[in-house]
Amino acid sequence: MVRPADVVTGVEERFESPLHETRTAAILGIALGVTFGACFATGLLSHLIQHPPGWFRWPSRPAGLYRATQGVHVTTGFVSIPILLAKLWTVFPRFWTWPPARNVAHAVERVTLLPLVAGAVFLLYSGVANVARFYPYPFFFPAAHYWVAWMTIGAMVAHVGAKAAVTRDALRRPTVADGAGETLPASARPVDRRAFLTGVAATSVALGLATAGSTVGPLSSLAVLGQRRPGFGPQGLPVNKTARGAGVVASARRPSYRLVVEGDVDERFELTLAQLEALPQRRVVLPIACVEGWSTSAHWTGVPVRDLLVRAGAPAGASVVVESLERNGRYRSSLLDPSHAHDRDTLLATRIGGEPLDIDHGYPVRLIGPNRPGVMQTKWVERLVVRR
Amino acid sequence: MSTERHRDGGAVFWVATAVGWTVIAVAVIGVLSNSHDTQPSDLVRWVIGGALVHDFLWLPLVALIGTALARATRGRVPGPVRWALATTAVLAVVSWPFVRGYGRQAANPSLLPRNYAAGVGVYVAVVWGVALLLVVIGTVAGRRTPPPPTVPAATKPLPIGDGGGGDADGEPDGGEGT
Repeated sequence: MVRPADVVTGVEERFESPLHETRTAAILGIALGVTFGACFATGLLSHLIQHPPGWFRWPSRPAGLYRATQGVHVTTGFVSIPILLAKLWTVFPRFWTWPPARNVAHAVERVTLLPLVAGAVFLLYSGVANVARFYPYPFFFPAAHYWVAWMTIGAMVAHVGAKAAVTRDALRRPTVADGAGETLPASARPVDRRAFLTGVAATSVALGLATAGSTVGPLSSLAVLGQRRPGFGPQGLPVNKTARGAGVVASARRPSYRLVVEGDVDERFELTLAQLEALPQRRVVLPIACVEGWSTSAHWTGVPVRDLLVRAGAPAGASVVVESLERNGRYRSSLLDPSHAHDRDTLLATRIGGEPLDIDHGYPVRLIGPNRPGVMQTKWVERLVVRR
Repeated sequence: MSTERHRDGGAVFWVATAVGWTVIAVAVIGVLSNSHDTQPSDLVRWVIGGALVHDFLWLPLVALIGTALARATRGRVPGPVRWALATTAVLAVVSWPFVRGYGRQAANPSLLPRNYAAGVGVYVAVVWGVALLLVVIGTVAGRRTPPPPTVPAATKPLPIGDGGGGDADGEPDGGEGT
């Protein structure tokens, strides 16, 4: 009968590259901490913006801030892939350590690797799949991605605590023993370690370039993994959800369309599209910034929401729920908190580039405002509900 | 090698473990209390499955290919070529759902509009161009300086993980001395 120990013993020593060493693992771990940290922070921010708790306020300025933070989120996710793979390759011989734990603390440390590694791998492959709009699983991606991110960050905190001393020593000295009697098989020459880490960095940069152009205009021609192409789509703007997909083709085109402003107001009123377009118009340049990382700017023309609030006699500091003609769907309405509702550039837009909105861009009326995720720029707007 | 050893445990370890596992517990509760969206039983399968695919498919494949290459070439595959191979594999895996176009929608041509195979192909070509250039530069430089003593890969124990001898990644044989 073959015992597990017979299978595992000696395997660790057979990984002969000297790069399976603590110093290389420490450097990659720190790099991963930086990229995952930035990715987690920006992802958490995006979640808070879309599901704001009572204490959270997201300003309407600077107008392009969300565009930048979400670009950072997606790009750091892609950049993390080679670093994570290199890190796991570097420490892989440890997987075969026998006995698997030498004491309680070591057992706890090793158990924590399960949520850490499984969570990190899941976050990166599901994030890539989301940018590619590929959903082979039944769960709702944002919810799964969000909670697994918390699990992974929790495991990362525990892992950092477990490895802090080893990492510090590994960075101080060229080599270090790691644990009670447990050492990685060899230590690399500095020139080899530098070459290896440079290679990992180069691959990360390549993936970053393949992605970042979705946010950074001058790099757009390099964004070979971009979900969109600038200027490609109706009226030169990509479309996220189509009118057909939202089930609003008929309702958006009906002649009896009215925009309704109601709620905690002195005077509820309705406007036809012609009446809305007869009001003083404002022209702004604002980006559509998608949670999937792409963003692109356009010239929008419409009526400032705050002008409609004044007309309705809404109280100062009111917030507004913007409702779509779309009857179902998670994003059929969005909240304009006071700073967004009263920003002069938050418009109910009726035109893009001087032309009436294409139906896929929200005809007859859509919301466009500064510093908001694309899913909160509600299309096919039917109703503003004012809240004190 | 330093003889310094780190004891398991300690205050930092246990505090970080307590904080970390509290956060993990919150995440698990979050998954369970949002089960309509998170589909916990499926989510667990996909989370664990990703790690299993990585640990028991991806890494063993990397190790096997590395070992096969090392044996076939007696450990003389230049570092830049190994880097190009690894980068090609990463680009292929990451770009796979784009190239296959799983997310395309006939009614929305602005979604996934690029020729992803061609775009990634250009990246792969550039990677190999850079790698071969580095090999040439290393070879030319190696002729000008005597090579450092190295241990032939064939004399080492059975390699299962890495594709070769002491000259790890990035340094062509006979390149920069130590």
